[in-house]
Amino acid sequence: MEFEQIYKTYWDRIFRLCMGFVNDYDAAQDLAQETFIIVWQKLETFRNESAIGTWIFRIASNNCLRQIEKQKRFPKSELPVHLSEEKQTSLEPQIQFLYKCIAELPETDRIIISLELEDIKQNEIAKIVGLSEANVRVKIHRIKEKLTQKFKENEQR
Amino acid sequence: MNNDNNIDFKDLWKKQSVSQPDIQDLLARVGKFKKAALRSLWISNILLCLTSAFIVFIWIYYQPQFISTKIGIVLTILAMVIYLFVYNKLLRSYKNIDATATNQEYLQKLIFIKKKQQFMQTKMMSFYFVFLTIGICLYMYEYASRMSVLGASLTYGITLLWMMFNWFYIRPKQIKKQQDKINGLIEKFEEVNHQLES
Repeated sequence: MEFEQIYKTYWDRIFRLCMGFVNDYDAAQDLAQETFIIVWQKLETFRNESAIGTWIFRIASNNCLRQIEKQKRFPKSELPVHLSEEKQTSLEPQIQFLYKCIAELPETDRIIISLELEDIKQNEIAKIVGLSEANVRVKIHRIKEKLTQKFKENEQR
Repeated sequence: MNNDNNIDFKDLWKKQSVSQPDIQDLLARVGKFKKAALRSLWISNILLCLTSAFIVFIWIYYQPQFISTKIGIVLTILAMVIYLFVYNKLLRSYKNIDATATNQEYLQKLIFIKKKQQFMQTKMMSFYFVFLTIGICLYMYEYASRMSVLGASLTYGITLLWMMFNWFYIRPKQIKKQQDKINGLIEKFEEVNHQLES
């Protein structure tokens, strides 16, 4: 697969994964770009052992985990905060709320639920994260329960 | 889906607005990234070469007579070479971390590298200082032996004072700064890794 084609096909999905992880438009944009830089560098080494989607999502989710380190190095206040807010106001509050809830989950849960919402098969998610399929299924179920609860609490308020 | 679960998260999820940047922007960033990596490699290696060349120049130009001077020179260069070698190796292992592994493997690898880094920063730093101090003291001996007693003790006194200041003040401070950062990271990565086990 050509890089340009991969970029066009996967950008939106990778961006949403990153957005679910950080819930910050600019930071997610950066993370997604970094992911594609790695994809661009590593594309030669891709050997069709796994589906390209699995491969790309592994890179993206690992990069998200890696940014935990950078987050400590560059405090969030350095990011242009008002800029991201401006972009986000156009969103429906429910979408905003969903991303906010996901970004508040434990790091690995964020990745798992983002992949699930991207319609990735559970056996693929298991291959990306490195857990058993049964384990992934249980986790997804729990996370969805948690999200549903948060949404209900939000409605009541 | 049961009745409790009637919120369509997938639908909401996909409605997030996304703007795909032009691919040319991305490729420009790739180029910049490559240049920066290359530059940092050059800077550390050029510095090393220059220092070594300078010391070799002293060796040839002043023709030291004592074996202590030569050992001193060798020790000093060795300290710097080993330090840079280890540092470069660590940096490489960090860069070459397999980005296409599963999250679990990736996290474990990150923790492993961070722990190695933690070990090296303390040990290497001490090793470097000890080698450098011994090297410089040996190196100075030939020249100090030609000075008056006062001049020699002054030379050694000032040098050792400077070394002690580094050893007792700069070194612990540097180590503490690095350790605080790295310990926090290890803790965080272990916590994330633990999420996968539960």
